[in-house]
Amino acid sequence: MRIKSFEKHYYLMLLPGYLWLTVFTIVPMFGIVIAFQHFNPGKGVFGSEWAGLEHFKYMFVLKDTREVFFNTLIIAVLKIIAHLIVPLVFALMLNELRRIVVKRWIQTIVYLPHFLSWVILGGIVLDLFSYNGPVNQLGAMLGFKPTLFFAQAELFPWLVVGSDVWKEFGFNTIIYLAALTGINPALYEAAGMDGAGRWQSLWHITLPGIRTTAVLLAVLSLGNVLNAGFDQIFNLYNPLVYSTGDIIDTWVYRTGLLNLQYELATAVGLLKSLIGFILISVSYYLAYRLINYRIF
Amino acid sequence: MKRKVNVMWTLLLASALTLSACGGAEEPAEEAGSEAGTQETGPADPYGKYEEPVTISIGMQVDPTDKDLPQGDTPLDNQYTRQIKEALNVDVEHAFTASAANMRQKISLAIASNDLPDALVVNAVELRQMVAAGQLADLTQIYERYASPEIKDIIDKTEGAALKSVTFDGKMYAIPGVQADADGVHIMWIRQDWLDKLKLEPPKTMEDLEKVARAFVEEDPDGNGTADTIGISGPQSGDGKMYANFLESKNNLYGFDAIFSAYDAFPGFWLDDGNGSPVYGSILPETKEALAGLRDLYSKGLIDPEMAVREASDEPVINGKSGIFFAPWWMGYGPLTNAVKNDAEANWQAYALPLNADGAFKPHAATPSTEFVVVRKGYEHPEVPMKMLNNLFKNEMENTFDPSKGGPGFYPLRVVFAPSDEIEFTNKAIKEVLAGAKTKEDYAEDRPYKLLPSDLENIKKIKQEPYDDWNIGTWTPDADWGAWTRAYSIMVGGNPLVETEMEGVKSLIYEQTPLMESRWVNLKKMEDEMFLKIVMGVAPIDTFDQFVEDWKRQGGDQITQEVAEAIKQ
Amino acid sequence: MIRDKTWGSRLTDIVLMVVLIGITLTCILPIWYTFALSLSSNSAAAAGQVWLWPVGFNFNAYTQILKDTQFFGSFWISVQRVVLGATLNFVVVLLMAYPLSRSSRQFRARGVLMWILVFCMLFNGGLIPLYLTVKGLGMLNSIWALVLVGGAQTLVFNIILTVNFFRNLPKELDEAALVDGAGPWYSLLRIYLPLAVPVLATVTLFSIVYHWNEFLYGLIFMTREQYYPLQTYIQQLVVSVDPATMSEDQYRRLSELSNRTLDAAKIFIAMLPIMVVYPFLQRYFIHGITLGSVKE
Repeated sequence: MRIKSFEKHYYLMLLPGYLWLTVFTIVPMFGIVIAFQHFNPGKGVFGSEWAGLEHFKYMFVLKDTREVFFNTLIIAVLKIIAHLIVPLVFALMLNELRRIVVKRWIQTIVYLPHFLSWVILGGIVLDLFSYNGPVNQLGAMLGFKPTLFFAQAELFPWLVVGSDVWKEFGFNTIIYLAALTGINPALYEAAGMDGAGRWQSLWHITLPGIRTTAVLLAVLSLGNVLNAGFDQIFNLYNPLVYSTGDIIDTWVYRTGLLNLQYELATAVGLLKSLIGFILISVSYYLAYRLINYRIF
Repeated sequence: MKRKVNVMWTLLLASALTLSACGGAEEPAEEAGSEAGTQETGPADPYGKYEEPVTISIGMQVDPTDKDLPQGDTPLDNQYTRQIKEALNVDVEHAFTASAANMRQKISLAIASNDLPDALVVNAVELRQMVAAGQLADLTQIYERYASPEIKDIIDKTEGAALKSVTFDGKMYAIPGVQADADGVHIMWIRQDWLDKLKLEPPKTMEDLEKVARAFVEEDPDGNGTADTIGISGPQSGDGKMYANFLESKNNLYGFDAIFSAYDAFPGFWLDDGNGSPVYGSILPETKEALAGLRDLYSKGLIDPEMAVREASDEPVINGKSGIFFAPWWMGYGPLTNAVKNDAEANWQAYALPLNADGAFKPHAATPSTEFVVVRKGYEHPEVPMKMLNNLFKNEMENTFDPSKGGPGFYPLRVVFAPSDEIEFTNKAIKEVLAGAKTKEDYAEDRPYKLLPSDLENIKKIKQEPYDDWNIGTWTPDADWGAWTRAYSIMVGGNPLVETEMEGVKSLIYEQTPLMESRWVNLKKMEDEMFLKIVMGVAPIDTFDQFVEDWKRQGGDQITQEVAEAIKQ
Repeated sequence: MIRDKTWGSRLTDIVLMVVLIGITLTCILPIWYTFALSLSSNSAAAAGQVWLWPVGFNFNAYTQILKDTQFFGSFWISVQRVVLGATLNFVVVLLMAYPLSRSSRQFRARGVLMWILVFCMLFNGGLIPLYLTVKGLGMLNSIWALVLVGGAQTLVFNIILTVNFFRNLPKELDEAALVDGAGPWYSLLRIYLPLAVPVLATVTLFSIVYHWNEFLYGLIFMTREQYYPLQTYIQQLVVSVDPATMSEDQYRRLSELSNRTLDAAKIFIAMLPIMVVYPFLQRYFIHGITLGSVKE
């Protein structure tokens, strides 16, 4: 039921938005060529010499590059998984709570940290896990020796994921909660009459009821596989944990800003964009195949 | 809470480039000096006033929380800018302003987008970048003809070091500031009251240091009944460094500089290998030995267990939990003001210790110049910044400006020109005056020591008798905290410099070589990471040898060759 | 749901309640910490003695802020930015999401147009070209640079969300509109807009939070601090500076200016508006994000 005369109105509606995006995202993309140049700021992007793929070759020789791509992937994947499971568990627990007022308060408060920046939260997390901090004090009571959590490379990714989950779990909780309320109450009543307990209801009614939501969230988050969270890691890391905690974004930041290595930084940034684009395309088709859903 | 930046920095700033069409258009070759009525060569009047108003647009550091200016004044209209207008007929404009923390980003942006103000104060790495991009005016002639005799004198006294840092291919591309040598000497600050309480002497050797640190950790010097004290403070996370290096050769707070030099190790510095060839200090056996020593101290819990992870190393100092740290003379400006405000008994004293095996204190020495005034290529009046600096220095000597109406930082394009012995000289002068041997008037002629008059005037307000005892109980900081901060730094922090025979170890170079532009960050990262891991016991000490090999292979050898060529010139 | 009153069930209830409330409390912690810091004495704050309760209780920081014209100037700029940014986002998202939510049969170019958006979202040319573009438009030091550049970067995500919402509305809506002879503008404004309130509230909340918290563009495009939005102003307070890059003289100035108590008070005030706004938008928000991403 295509109506030709409508299409011209559609274009009219789209015009302001595309104009906006053209000026502020497409026009500045001429900067990408810098990854292929020996860039000299004095001569500009049109005057600088071409370097071919030299910066890309150097990028692949550097041990750092492999390390940061690997770290990025690990941290991002762990985050994606944790962001699916923790909110689900929390939402299920909250759903079992029978005091509506308390439930509403909790629901409102838990996603408050989502609105605060890592600039502020970073310092607090470090305080919590410091040598004399509350976590170590608690550990001492249980007989553990105090440890320097943020100095241990093998712990760092877990601390990053953990603190990020703490900051963000309230957000996905809300989505799950909404899905939970969408489940027909009659199902529970029927189950109750059949003598099913809490756990059986949970297993046979609640979980299947939100399966679609979980799958969808998983697929949507694939696009984030290369975003391990610059703000957070930049606020928490130190040279001792570079080997497991340095990610593409922090590395590019240091390289580009400290040493003004524009070309290398642009090259790595471009590679990241490319991989991100491929992953989004994959998740687009996955969503279509698995749950017959078009993300956009 | 500290350093923060957003995700966008990453992709954005990093991937910088420019449109020459939008940036500065093609400019005529410099060689300017087009001031009317002056000849192209020969000396010119360093203070000459322009007949027609001349405008200069600059990038300037302005701190938004700085409420120093009197009501009605602004960073563009205050005693300094009015005086400049009056004396030189120069109008100052701001191309941009930024706080100290964001100045580097703003300058990077200006360089990369080729959108420079007429003049700017930059650091060594930025200077090199701008020279490589061909963005700067050649100031060789300007300096020759316009620099005032006093400024030339101060620059000459650095024995070529200041000029060398701004000369590329025989041309001078910036006016170097000159700072006092004292900023580069890292001494030991220690809680004298703790030493006294535990009946200990200031530690002279590394063995003593271990003993004292152990006592500080184990014998409850703060007397609160819990073992919560730190022997030796360590660097903080993020910007903290275990030692100053040839690019950042001064003002390293809470590092281990003095411990390294007690082992005759100078990591981060370019040294002579004894045969006239350069060698990088971090890969020498002395450094390995020093790292092993630090590792030992750390494993025994005598160094702050939270070093390198702690967000602010000044906290335990202020808090009365730390007994020893290493830093330059000016710690009154650092944590000590808050430390004494917190605990009036906190008696921090400074010593040029520990000594090396030969019984000498042999610190590394800093470059005198870390700030540079540069002029954009194509600016019509490239001599204006030089004249402004002349004017600044002259008026600082003559005490024209009233710091209570806005600190000197509001002077546009200000860089410090300090006599290299400023701290030592002031320290001695104060002692003479306190002893009654001399009076303030006797120093009236020593004009380059700009703060000396006020130092001499204020000292008796805050320092009580006996005048040869510098313990905290003999000071009355409440009378004037500002004056105390400076006087305590100069006296307590300056005493070891005055009283100790010391010969500083210089780095062969204090600038980057071409290859370093692309490789240094990665080498330095490897070094920092490895050394921290060794000290903190995460990696075995022998990984040091692996590090040396990796360092050489990943560009270190090539860079060493470049350094060899650079010092031949 | 069946309300069984067994002991086990009651115990479960109590444990649930305790755990949930415990987790919830950790989410308020950072705000409380900042608040406690802002009411403490400056030397206690600098010494790291403040944790959950103010040390050296006083209101100095707040009386000082009242005299700080720069702080309120920046506050006002941020308010303007949020109002302009969120309004623009609202209008453009609505206009673009509607045609893009038509099926490919109704609007043939939609697939291509959608992929262009995704491309805009993932790729960028870097900061310098962006800076030159903004400068070329004469927008340096203008609030429009903040509104338009930042807005363009978050626009695509909001559009995708809204498109999903529209596509999940019953197909009968369109048919009914057609039968009534409604044109595209009529059905957008009279049929879709009223139904889209939840999702538009959601993207508006996203936009408000983004514009309120974003600081980088203030730093880049504003050449003078009097044009800084609030977060840029705050960011300057919490960044630490490496003393090695400064002369002792500069450091002296800085340390005289350092005031953690005052900083904490400013941060606390900067957090307030978001804390006040989000609970009110929550109702719509939950609805919007759920319907936008979940097909039941």
